[in-house]
Amino acid sequence: MSHGEELPLAGVRVLEIGGGVAAAFATRWMAGFGADVVRSDAGRETLGRDEQAFLLAGKRRVGAGDARLRELALAADIVVEDGAPGALAARGLDPRELQRAKPALVVVSLTPFGQTGPAAHWRASNLVAHAAGGVLSLTGVASRPPLQNGGNQAWMMLGLNGCSAALAAYFGALVHGEGDWLDLSAQDCAAGMLELYGPRAAFENTEAPRLGNRVHAIWGIFPCADGFAGVCALQRQAPAFFAMTGEPALADPRFLDPGQRLTADAELGALVEDWFRDKKKHELLEMGEKHKVPIGAVQTPLDLLASPGLAEREFFDPVVTPAGVARVPGRPYLGVGWRAGELHAPAADTDAVARDWLGAKS
Amino acid sequence: MKRLPLEGVRIADLSMMWAGPFATRLLAEMGAEIVKIESPRAWDNVRTLLPQPGATEPWNTSYYFNDYNRDKKSLTLDLSQPRGRELFLELVAQCDCVIENYRADVLDKLGIGWEILRKARPDVILISMAGFGKTGPEQRLVGFGPIIEQMAGMASTTGYGDDGVPYKTGISYGDPIGGIAAAGAVVLAMIARRRTGRGAWIDLAQRETMAQMLGPAFAAASLRGESPVHRGNRDPHFAPQGVYRCAGRDQWVAISARDDREWWALCAAIGAPELESLELAERRQRHDELDRRIERWTALFLPREAAESLQRAGVSAAPVLDCNAIHQDPHLAARGSWVELPHPKMKAWKQPASAWRLVEAKPLLRRHAPLFGEHNREILCGLLGHPERELAELEGAGIIGDAPIGAREG
Repeated sequence: MSHGEELPLAGVRVLEIGGGVAAAFATRWMAGFGADVVRSDAGRETLGRDEQAFLLAGKRRVGAGDARLRELALAADIVVEDGAPGALAARGLDPRELQRAKPALVVVSLTPFGQTGPAAHWRASNLVAHAAGGVLSLTGVASRPPLQNGGNQAWMMLGLNGCSAALAAYFGALVHGEGDWLDLSAQDCAAGMLELYGPRAAFENTEAPRLGNRVHAIWGIFPCADGFAGVCALQRQAPAFFAMTGEPALADPRFLDPGQRLTADAELGALVEDWFRDKKKHELLEMGEKHKVPIGAVQTPLDLLASPGLAEREFFDPVVTPAGVARVPGRPYLGVGWRAGELHAPAADTDAVARDWLGAKS
Repeated sequence: MKRLPLEGVRIADLSMMWAGPFATRLLAEMGAEIVKIESPRAWDNVRTLLPQPGATEPWNTSYYFNDYNRDKKSLTLDLSQPRGRELFLELVAQCDCVIENYRADVLDKLGIGWEILRKARPDVILISMAGFGKTGPEQRLVGFGPIIEQMAGMASTTGYGDDGVPYKTGISYGDPIGGIAAAGAVVLAMIARRRTGRGAWIDLAQRETMAQMLGPAFAAASLRGESPVHRGNRDPHFAPQGVYRCAGRDQWVAISARDDREWWALCAAIGAPELESLELAERRQRHDELDRRIERWTALFLPREAAESLQRAGVSAAPVLDCNAIHQDPHLAARGSWVELPHPKMKAWKQPASAWRLVEAKPLLRRHAPLFGEHNREILCGLLGHPERELAELEGAGIIGDAPIGAREG
C-alpha cells in the first residue's frame, strides 16, 4: 500500500450536530482520516457507552449555544446533522442561509424520511426507519414477522451514506468552489439497494417473499458441527461446490443444470444441509479457499476480535473508556493514513475549539 | 444550477456483480464518467443472471443489471489478450481511478496490478474491493455479500431469539455496504491527491466495512466478553417495540414506544388506557402480553392506516414496506424517489433516484445502463484516438464485441 501515513483529511474541519448514531457514524471515519471533527453535544447524551466508544473516538467536543454554533458552522468545511427537518433552521442555522454566507460549505442533513414529503416529520426509531426502507420486509422467514438486523442498521447505513456523500460534496467544493446541502433519508438510502428484489418488483410486479436462511439449495446458512456456516454458489461455482463436497449424491447431473436444479431444490437442499451438519467451520473455510467456492462461517464479534487475519491487517483500534480499553473497528480500509482516537469528555474542548476555529480568546 | 461534485472525473470500472457496480453507480450519480469494462468472454454476470423470457439479447435487457449500472459507459475488452491489456492501460492513462472487486489474486494474474497501473498513470487511484482484502491469511477466501455478512459478525447478531438461529439479511447486505464505503474511498483518495499529487492503492476488504456496521458490538465484546443477543424486533433501551400483523396477507406495521410519552400516546390510540401507567420495567416484563394487545388493534387496519393513525397520535410507526409497496409509497412518490428512464429495448420501470440529494446540484439520472460494448467506438476512437478500421480487427480477434460469447449457453 502506498503513502499510508499521511492523513487524507488533515486540516478539514467537520462540525457534527445532533447527537444520534447516524451523524456520529457519518463523521467517525472522517476523524480517523485526520479531519478535526467537533461534536456539539446536545443536552442529554443519547448514545450508549458502547456506541460512544466506537462513534466518538477522535472527536473534540464542545458545548455551544445557537449563536456560537452558527459561528462554528461557518468556520467548518462540512456540517453533519441528524436533527428533525427544520430543527437546524429553528436554531438559526438554516442550511440554505449558511450556504449563502459560505458558498463552499457542505451541509449534510440525515433524517429517517428526508426534509420534504408528507412523512418528513414522522417519528422514527431505528426499527421504524428500517421498516420504511424495504430491507426489513425481506429478512426473516415467511411464517414469522419480518426481522430487523442486529445493531442499528437503519441509522448506521444512513451514517455510512452520509460520510461518503459528504466527502463527494466536499471534493466538489474543492474543485468547483461550490458546496451544497445534502438531504439524505434512511428510507431513500435503503430503497435504492434492494438487490434484485426491488427492480424485479418494479419491473414485473413480483412479490418478494422472506426466504429465511435459504435463497436456494446452494445459497444459504446451514447448521454445522460448531455453529452455523453457509455457501453462496452461483451457477459458475456450482460444479466446484459439488466436487468439493465429495458426496456421490451431490454429483447427480441434474444438480449441475440450473433449470433442473431449481426443480430439485428441496431435495438438493436436504443433501446440502446433511453435508454441512458434521463439518466444522474451519474445515469448511479451508475447503472453500482450496476449491475457490464462496463458503462462510457465522462468526461473532468475539470471533473477529480473535481473528489472526484481522490482527495482521491491524483492523481494531484500542479506545480507552471508563470501563477499560475497548477494541473497536478502526480503519475501514488500507492505503491512506488513519489515526486511532481518544474519547473526550462532553464539552471538554469548548475553549480550545473556539480558539482554533474562531480565534476567540478563552 | 450548481455542478455535480464529480464532474470531470473519469473512472475505469472493472467491477462486477453488485458491490463494485453499486459504488460506481453512486459515483456516476455524483457526475463521474464511468467506463465499465467487460470482456466478451467474462462479462458482468448480473447481465445474464435473470434472462427475460424470449429476450433475444438478454445481456442488454436485464432490469437487475440496469438498476445498478445506469449512467455508465460500456467498453468491451478481453484483458486476457495482450492487445486488450494495452488498450486498457491506454484508458487508465486517461482515468483518475480504477476500481475492481475481483478475488484478491485476479488483478495481478491479469497482468494489470498496481505497479503496472502506476506506470500507465503515475497518480492513479486503485480501489480493490476483495472480500477479505489483499493481505493476510484470509485473502484467498471467496466472498460474496451473503458470505461477507456471516464472516463480519452481522448474521450472528440477527435472530428471532427463540430458536438460536442466526439469520442472513434479506439482501446481500455486504455488497451495498462495501459499495457505499468504496465510493467514499474514491473521493477520499482524490481529496488527498489534490494536496499531495500522489495516487493511492486502497485495499478495501468488504468484510471489514461490514464489521464497522456493528462497531458498538465490538466494544461490548471486548469490554465485557458479550456475545450477540438475538432480540427479534425488540430494543434494548425501550419498550414495547415490534413488528405487528395488520389486515391482509403478510402485512405488517413497525411500532416503537421510545419513551413514556409515546407509550401513553400508543395506549390512547389503541384504546388501552388501563395500560398507561405501566413504567418501562413493567413494559419490558410484560412485553409478550403488550404485543398481543397491540396486535389486536393493528390487525384491524392496513399497515398504512395503522401507521398514519399512530403518527397522528405521536407514536413512532411505519408500514413495513415490501418491494411492491415501496414503489407505491406516497411519501417516496412526493419526494421523486423513483425515476423512469427510457430504454431502447425495455419498457420503462421505476428505478431509484439518487439517494444523495444535493439540494442545488440536483443529481438526475441521465441514461439507462449501457448496452454491451455500446461505447467501444466512443472510447477507443474518440477518447483514445484509434482509427475506426481498428474496431473490426479487434472484433475479429474477440478483443471487443457487442455480445458476450457463449451467453446464450448460460
